[in-house]
Amino acid sequence: MSKLSNVWVFSDIASRLPEVIAGGVQLGEKVSAFVLGSEDDITKAYSLGATHVYYLGEKDTSKIIEDYAETMAHAISNGDSNTLMLLGATKRGKALAAKLGVQLKAGVINDASEVSVADGDGVTAKHMVYGGLAIGEEKILSPIALVTIGNGIFEAAQADSSKTGEAISVSFIEPKSSIKCIERRAKQGKSVDLGKAKRVIAIGSGIGKQENLQMVAELGAILGAELGCSRPIAETEKWMERERYIGVSGVMLKPDLYLALGISGQIQHMVGALSSKTILAVNKDKNAPIFQYADYGIVGDLNKVVPALISAFKG
Amino acid sequence: MKIITCYKLVPEEQDIAVKADASLDTSKAAPKISQFDLNAIETAVEIKALVGECKITALSIGGKALDNPKARKDILSRGPDDLTVVVDEKFEQALPHQTARVLAAAAQKTGFDLIICGDGSGDLYAQQVGLQLGELLEVATINAVSKIVSAQDGKITVERALDDEVEVLEITLPAVISVSADINEPSIPSMKTILAAARKPVTKLSVEDIELAEIPVLVESVSVLAPEHTERKQIIIHGDDEAQIAEFAEHLRKALK
Repeated sequence: MSKLSNVWVFSDIASRLPEVIAGGVQLGEKVSAFVLGSEDDITKAYSLGATHVYYLGEKDTSKIIEDYAETMAHAISNGDSNTLMLLGATKRGKALAAKLGVQLKAGVINDASEVSVADGDGVTAKHMVYGGLAIGEEKILSPIALVTIGNGIFEAAQADSSKTGEAISVSFIEPKSSIKCIERRAKQGKSVDLGKAKRVIAIGSGIGKQENLQMVAELGAILGAELGCSRPIAETEKWMERERYIGVSGVMLKPDLYLALGISGQIQHMVGALSSKTILAVNKDKNAPIFQYADYGIVGDLNKVVPALISAFKG
Repeated sequence: MKIITCYKLVPEEQDIAVKADASLDTSKAAPKISQFDLNAIETAVEIKALVGECKITALSIGGKALDNPKARKDILSRGPDDLTVVVDEKFEQALPHQTARVLAAAAQKTGFDLIICGDGSGDLYAQQVGLQLGELLEVATINAVSKIVSAQDGKITVERALDDEVEVLEITLPAVISVSADINEPSIPSMKTILAAARKPVTKLSVEDIELAEIPVLVESVSVLAPEHTERKQIIIHGDDEAQIAEFAEHLRKALK
């Protein structure tokens, strides 16, 4: 893989900065970071591997971060003509990328799971399409490329306090149309975030009746597993909340353990579970597709298997 | 207030099959209104209730699926007063920067105070068409709108749920907003609205009608392929007697470690 002479980076969330800079270091000879915040934030960007810091000033609560699009576009267009900007794939990162895409006549790819630079051939990135059924690969043909990157695609850069530098101050360019921020408040936590669960038990239509959820919940509590479900359980039966449904247009899991109870294993569900480390399945139909995706399976009756598992693990 | 609500017809994802060569087969997947766009339409209906004097135009660009009378009735049964479609064969697989430019040209023709889009589409989920549309039209634009706080002529106030905080934003119209899936629960059309939909006006425009300028080629699609699957052990126990369940429990016990 070849490198670009310069990669621009920005993260609206401090915790994503080490990964975004790591991406810049991997894909560019120079890494130019836009920093909005304090002196400490400038020092941090240099210590993480930025070779140049473009300082946007202190955070201004009446402005939204997207108001800096014109300012960033100006700095980018004064730099190398063939370049890439990496942003964290947050809501703000995507809004900035889209605005910059229009202002710089540049191609944008969001939620990249892979980014590469080919010799004289521009930037290529992959991202999930059709709700996770497939991965789309796209090539950016414009001289400037804008890519927002998903979590974990670059290993976070480690801070090295011996790396320092002087920040370059960038003057603010008033956006053509601005949006006034009249209040900010902390977000209330979601009740469940299945995407982060280490162990998940998922139920499908094979569960039969709603009362059976009770024994599944008991097993979940014993195994320390979150409960999820297939689409019909959430949407048709409404036995579980929507945020627990796994698969296309639902939750994408990445647990160590995924136990499927009465799930047939349609691809639309399975795409949400395929990143699990170990997949176990219980189903009474030996021909259910779920067994093709399973590490361990048992062809049997849930009403026998689940209570037996409960007593086996009760300790 | 004149509202445009944009929507895209996408293949029903539940009916897409994966072929042996990992490409997708959408031939059995009927076109439907993309999920987030239903939230956009519902948002338009909510705003109409707040401001009173208001007309909602549904707008879509795409290929021949937009000519289907059933698909037209479907969108019109959900609240818009009329429908404008821009149909051209070359929009069949349009990429986001192209879609945004066609929508911008069409919106300039029809006029608007507020354009509402979904945050992303069910197929490409590029999450940038609404934002690029606003930027191309040089009006205020924002994504992730999670609540309409108030709406009046010339101004709306919205909440925006971000990854770490919620912003309350005052937006001067004209503007383009993209709404998230949790902004509302799209209502299901009633028999009455379905019948009324048949009488609502539909305008079909061509590329010439909207005076579409040449679209720069910024991105090209290389491939769309199902991901490779991890090899699984596929150790399957056939039967649920006590010993067999114990054997399965042993596998589970090891996996827990």
